[in-house]
Amino acid sequence: MALKDVMHDIEGYQDIQKEIEVVRRYGPDYTTQKGRVQQIINMLHPKTLRFTVSEIREETTSTKTLRLISEMDHLPPFQAGQYINLCVEIGGIKTSRPYSISSPPNQTAYYDITVRTVPNGFVSEYLLHDVQPGVVFESTGPSGNFYHNPLFHGDDLVFLAGGSGITPFMSMIREITDKGLPRHIHLVYGSQHPEDVIFHTELSERARMHENITYSLVISDPHRGYHGHTGFLTADLLEDLVPDISTKMVYLCGPELMYPFCLRELKKIGVPRKRIRTEVFGPPKDVTAEPGWPEGMRSKARFKVTVRGRKTIAAQANEPLMIALERAGIVIPASCRSGECSLCRTRLVSGRVFQPSGVKIRRSDAQYGYIHPCMAYPISDIEIVL
Amino acid sequence: MPDYDMVVIGAGNGGLTAALSLVKSGLKVLLLERHNIPGGCATSFIRGRFEFEVALHQLSGMGSLERPGPLRSLLGRLGVLDRLTFVEMQNLYRIFLPGSLDITLKADRQEAVRSLKERFPQEKEGIDAFFNLVYDFCMQMIGAVFMRDPEASREKYPLYFGYALKDSQGILDKYLKDPLLQAALTPYWGYLGLPPSMLAFMDFAMVLFAYLEFKPFHLKGGSQALSNALADEFIRLGGEVRYNCGAQRIIVSDKRVKAVVTEDGNEITTGYVVSNVGPITTLVELVGPEHCPPEQLKALKARSVGLSAFTVYMGLDCEPSDLGLTVTTNFISMDTDNDRTYARQRTLERPETALLTCYDVDDPEFSPDGCCQLALVTLQYGEPWLSVPPAQYFETKCRYAAGMLDLAEKLIPGYRNHIEELEVASPLTHMRYLGHLGGSIYGSEKYVRESPLFISPRSLIGGLYFVGAWNGAGGFQPTLESGSSVARAILKEMNT
Repeated sequence: MALKDVMHDIEGYQDIQKEIEVVRRYGPDYTTQKGRVQQIINMLHPKTLRFTVSEIREETTSTKTLRLISEMDHLPPFQAGQYINLCVEIGGIKTSRPYSISSPPNQTAYYDITVRTVPNGFVSEYLLHDVQPGVVFESTGPSGNFYHNPLFHGDDLVFLAGGSGITPFMSMIREITDKGLPRHIHLVYGSQHPEDVIFHTELSERARMHENITYSLVISDPHRGYHGHTGFLTADLLEDLVPDISTKMVYLCGPELMYPFCLRELKKIGVPRKRIRTEVFGPPKDVTAEPGWPEGMRSKARFKVTVRGRKTIAAQANEPLMIALERAGIVIPASCRSGECSLCRTRLVSGRVFQPSGVKIRRSDAQYGYIHPCMAYPISDIEIVL
Repeated sequence: MPDYDMVVIGAGNGGLTAALSLVKSGLKVLLLERHNIPGGCATSFIRGRFEFEVALHQLSGMGSLERPGPLRSLLGRLGVLDRLTFVEMQNLYRIFLPGSLDITLKADRQEAVRSLKERFPQEKEGIDAFFNLVYDFCMQMIGAVFMRDPEASREKYPLYFGYALKDSQGILDKYLKDPLLQAALTPYWGYLGLPPSMLAFMDFAMVLFAYLEFKPFHLKGGSQALSNALADEFIRLGGEVRYNCGAQRIIVSDKRVKAVVTEDGNEITTGYVVSNVGPITTLVELVGPEHCPPEQLKALKARSVGLSAFTVYMGLDCEPSDLGLTVTTNFISMDTDNDRTYARQRTLERPETALLTCYDVDDPEFSPDGCCQLALVTLQYGEPWLSVPPAQYFETKCRYAAGMLDLAEKLIPGYRNHIEELEVASPLTHMRYLGHLGGSIYGSEKYVRESPLFISPRSLIGGLYFVGAWNGAGGFQPTLESGSSVARAILKEMNT
């Protein structure tokens, strides 16, 4: 007798067979569930969003807010502080940039993104000067980890913002004040000149109306006769403004140089690292200044990048591989463009790349040669597989 | 000539081992994965300075070098064993019911029995008899089923033939009286997804036996290291993987698979498709009900959707010993009644049971120096989450997670001050990444009628096979094994 037939002798086997006959007849009809999983997921985490720019508001001479109305039937919820990665096509080149949403999550009709011009900024120049209401964009769904987590952040928060780093905080402060959330915020906003300050009127007004919001503006390069806090966000200044800062959760978002500076100052005051949350900020302005940059490697050194089965392109050492690829018409999935989210994970078959220390590569990915091209810089001829 | 001999949909455990086994046999194989990384559940993610293990708690079936278990042998055959460093765990688990039970069982029969007798001296005989039964039963099951004894019969293997399909609770009740003693021996039902009252004795006994005999393991780099090793070996042998590229459709004609259409619209012709996404998703979403034989749809009605999980991942800025943690695997429960616990898993009520795994206890290198990582998990059905409005999802998730954190507080008071990173995954998170109805992590319910005794990995559509948890056994070892056994079946079919 075959083994399968012997198994019929197991006690209870026949009962199960009868049970199967019943469920085959009366069990759930899964064909009615077609599309259901995707539908549920799309409500929370759609892969792609489509927007029309409905309105453009000038915030400062160098900053504009773009209001984005969904082209789909709804906008997914997000956490104040999260970003979308906006896809653009400029002069035939397809690329993308992450922008924090500056409108609050309770505003469900649109997302605002607030864009400041970056010197020689390929995308910011386009968004600020060429885009008019009516233009349609695609983006990723909201993502990012820079948001309030009530499970361990507490309700006593210090926001350290620098320049356009105010945008995620604006979303948070708007949400807290709009909804009357029981969180205490002290925003310390560093800006170079008073006229560069984004959202100054609104921030002052919200702080005036809500006693749980404190707003301190710090100007690093004041005019003569400026009254108010001046200088950088030093330990002395922070201790002065926020006396018990080391017992609070500190959020940090601003230009690249602000991070090492503020982390050092916060350390002086005794704020433990686990009580500091930082937002990612994209590729460094000058990667050759990063610790670990290979000695003698010229920033403008050019290398061959072979994309297996597609083509070979030229890339420059001081430019992220992702950008070199996009320039050559090869668009790979991207979201954070800061080395963190792993969406662009790519296999490096040969050659070497430099990845700054903040790039988050899984241990076994590093072992098998996977890189995050959004923050990987070619430092030899390389071959990759997409 | 089709483009590929074989297209494997989904790079989960079963998809990876199927793809690798087939490419090793010289076939031209394409592996499609819609995520950017292989593994399915067997992955990791990074927050701050922590790389979090997503799913693996205790790897079964490894055994020692001298006495390799089935999984070690399989990974050896697949050629990935040398690239991985396994970490043996000293204990099965610690089970903690505040105020009434706190016992740790070593991963060793004698030691485990001794600890149980020490704590429950009045039930010494029952404990001995129960372990004898579990062992004798499993030896018979190995002989009859795994060794495929041609002379298997009811007379030769009376325990197996008599008890395999019996409910485990009935047998527990016969041998063990104290509900606390039963609680001490039953937490592994959480690895299977049905409480002992609904769980066949063959499943209950085999899990306990396997962990005692082959020991629980973890590995350096977590389950992602295993997934990456399998994927890398597959590529090295000439297999092709496409990440960020899910399957959109399986084209069937003349009752045979003909092609797979990818999400970017490429039509890839093939004679065989191995699907790692479960029969429901495969048939309803990819093949389409209108292309399924009526018998196949009837069989589909007999399938169920099993449990998902709710997990809080935490990175702490202290060592396990600072928290008094000396065991990797800790079950915390406020209730000895497993049926009540199971019923709660269909609700969003405050969780009362959880598994707290601290990988750093057995592997001090798991997290950065001076840190450790906790995975706090409870099983849950996806269903209650479907009625949460999207705008309230985050808040609901946080509220449920807060209940989990309170539960952990019973075991490791004061740990919250050490939290440096924290991330939460709900059944909807699993649904997002796995694509299964209900966010199921174990495939179907562990009903006997959906065990390998009654279901086949081969569909009624020619060339279409299933791998993974939906083949009747969830968890790492079974899903890894499912891929290689399906590959064998396919090779057999191709050669006849």
